[in-house]
Amino acid sequence: MPSSTSSFESARPDLVIERSTSAEARIALRPGLRLTAADRPGIAQPVPERDIPDRRWGAIMLAALIMTLLMLGAWEWHWRAFGVEPSIANSDALWATQRRRIDHGEGDGATVLIGSSRMLFDLQLPVWQQLSGTRPIQLALEGTSPMFALEDLADDPNFRNGRLLVGVAPDIFFSGFAYRGGVLKYTRKQSPSQRVGQWLSMHFVEPFLAFDDPDYALPTVLERQDWWPVRPGMHPRKDVRKLMVVVDEDRASHIWDKLEKDPAYAALAQSIWAQHFEPGPGMPSPAELRKTIDEQIARAAVAVAKLRKRNVELIFVRTPSAGGYLAFEDKVFPRAKTWDMLLAKTGAPGVHFQDHPELQGFWLPEWSHLAARDAVRFTAALYRIIEHDVEQRGASRVAKTPER
Amino acid sequence: MVFNSLTFIAFFAIVLAIHSLPLAWKVRKVNLLVASYLFYSAWNPPFVILLWISTVVDWYAAQGLVKAQRPAARRAWMLLSVVANLGMLGYFKYGGFLLANFTALLASVGVAYHAPAPDIVLPVGISFYTFATMSYTLDVYLRRALPARNFLDYALFVTFFPHLVAGPIMRPTELVPQFEQPRRANRQQLFFGLALMTIGMFNKVVLADGFLAHAAEVVYDTDKIPGALDAWMGTLAFSGQIFCDFAGYSTIAIGVAMCLGFAMPDNFRFPYAAIGFSDFWRRWHITLSSWLRDYLYIPLGGNRHGPRRTYAALMGTMLLGGLWHGASWTFVAWGGLHGIYLSVERWLRKRFAGFRPNVWVLLAFGLITYALVNVTWVFFRAKTFSRAWTVLRGMFGTNDKAVPLLSGESLVVVAAIITGLVITHWLMRNRTLETVLARAPAAVLSCTWAVMAFAIIATQGSGNAFIYFQF
Repeated sequence: MPSSTSSFESARPDLVIERSTSAEARIALRPGLRLTAADRPGIAQPVPERDIPDRRWGAIMLAALIMTLLMLGAWEWHWRAFGVEPSIANSDALWATQRRRIDHGEGDGATVLIGSSRMLFDLQLPVWQQLSGTRPIQLALEGTSPMFALEDLADDPNFRNGRLLVGVAPDIFFSGFAYRGGVLKYTRKQSPSQRVGQWLSMHFVEPFLAFDDPDYALPTVLERQDWWPVRPGMHPRKDVRKLMVVVDEDRASHIWDKLEKDPAYAALAQSIWAQHFEPGPGMPSPAELRKTIDEQIARAAVAVAKLRKRNVELIFVRTPSAGGYLAFEDKVFPRAKTWDMLLAKTGAPGVHFQDHPELQGFWLPEWSHLAARDAVRFTAALYRIIEHDVEQRGASRVAKTPER
Repeated sequence: MVFNSLTFIAFFAIVLAIHSLPLAWKVRKVNLLVASYLFYSAWNPPFVILLWISTVVDWYAAQGLVKAQRPAARRAWMLLSVVANLGMLGYFKYGGFLLANFTALLASVGVAYHAPAPDIVLPVGISFYTFATMSYTLDVYLRRALPARNFLDYALFVTFFPHLVAGPIMRPTELVPQFEQPRRANRQQLFFGLALMTIGMFNKVVLADGFLAHAAEVVYDTDKIPGALDAWMGTLAFSGQIFCDFAGYSTIAIGVAMCLGFAMPDNFRFPYAAIGFSDFWRRWHITLSSWLRDYLYIPLGGNRHGPRRTYAALMGTMLLGGLWHGASWTFVAWGGLHGIYLSVERWLRKRFAGFRPNVWVLLAFGLITYALVNVTWVFFRAKTFSRAWTVLRGMFGTNDKAVPLLSGESLVVVAAIITGLVITHWLMRNRTLETVLARAPAAVLSCTWAVMAFAIIATQGSGNAFIYFQF
């Protein structure tokens, strides 16, 4: 049945230009096909007609709905059996909500955390809050150098009189690698619609669905199957798997407990890190890497100087790593040529886990991130070290700034 | 807001509920108008002002046209509309492009001119709604239609959110009469509208974004040199992506309108089964191609002034049509290639007027058409001519030092989807979706609907904007 019938009459029904073309097109149309504007040149287009197949659409939709719910239920059950629990999505939109806290007045005197995944998983906001009385603003991003955030905060007068902890994971910080480098642009251009969508998702979807995680999106799941042919000449690398869980709207996070409970999953995560430990095609030469390291340190020095003028206390934090990952970092990013130079050039204090016994002896299931209970201990120990430095001012184990 | 977002689902549910209330028709139209402005301002609220300007200018231009007696006065009112609309479009869409070309032109004659970066933000959908409002004034000017009886109906025609930002490009005569009588979808329209929305979402979220976009990005957004396999598969992936993205949008838009009780025109008719390029343009983005034909090609002379003028009109229309898609010479090249294809086809049809191909020859012509359309997509997708030439050389197997780019998984997935897409277009070539759905067993319809809905949710999507929003 048609959903609409033409009721419009052209002001000049006689006006049909290129009649022959139209006639050809009409002849080409078989019965059952709808005419479109393509078949009616040079005239006022009439009200469209849309056929609705004469079916019991209500019953068809109800059956489809039931089957959809059954399939989604099975999908949800599958991922929960794998160990996934519903959690807040670590999205660009969530990061934007935290970044805006500084714009909206919380930047005066705030403690802000930037860095990569180690700062995100390892530093526990509730513990810090319990000890200090203030909850930090968490802006660390996995797989992403904090340089963009450091420079952004350095240029933001709303951030002043506070404290900035900058997580340093050597391979990310000194290479400038930015897996999520577009987050700041997203934040600046985020539309009202995207803000509403983020709020809806965080309150009505994410708390209930375990499979609502980029790791378990259908194309990703299919792509990660073993059945695909490996193309000659290609050396495919596995993507980093899910490692974390966001537990609060302010991005409080910790390592996913599957890494602690499932040795095979932890071994998979280690093997994925190990893909990057050996030189491969596309990797920079030592000279190129040195140049990049120097550039990153120079950028950091400029930002630190700006922040210092606004009375922001900046502390670099070298979070723990272990096993093959630590060996790789020591080999490619040796401390003397990276961390020590960073502190020397910026004049900022730093806390390196290897300098403090209380920051060692933790369990890192996949070499890069602390087990959840150890992240609690680490946070408390780090807080005490930093506060001790504040009290001592210059004489503590924190300050590694050379004499000038 | 984009259709494939939680925000839109919530917005649409509220609009549908309010539209279903037993309110006066005028009140319901005001509700739809307010909802449409909300829909648009959800991107960038200040740009609603541009929408208002376009709306008001064409309303008064059409009123002036009706009252004007002298041809010069009528022409002046028409020109007011054209200049205002094209002026806005020119500034916001082509300002940076024109400035860059002006600077390059001066540099070519030895004048070093460094203009400050204009930093103009493109208002979403401006190309679509300026064409819609211009068609209103032009139809009145050409005496094809009378102006709307009241401002509310006209404003709602311009702003009606299903077609506002990416079409189908509606003509006033298609939509304004629908606002004159009370409309509310019956159950059949509502359920079938939801089915169309599911089909559109499946095309966009699952096929375009989930499975095809990545392969096109790997081939086009890199400096690496592709061989024949990668260049072709990346381009085929884009051909599928842009169809599923844009046809998906149009199908959702038609479904949304149907749920509210309105009818919108077809925008696609299985274009990858086209035999020849005039056939392709009767199947691809129908509302744009017919707009260009009615308001550009025919006024330029069409086929009424001899072969030379016809070919010139054809090329001019396609070049400008290319430029409509984006402020870049690569889009002009895309339009130019289509213009050449259409001109050559026209010449061949006259030269071999008596030729009656059998079904296999027609099939071969169809596949040649699809292959040549893919050549044009290279210029559409590549961000620079340099990249376009690199991919084209790859497609013709003349790239030295080519490296494999696409994984085995990407090759298999793209090949499977594109093969399925092209076969579907051929099977549906002389059918409508509705005629097929009318005969399919109900169980098949339910299962297909469920699988699509599941795939949409399981793919998750990230609310990626539709490709045509940038135009």
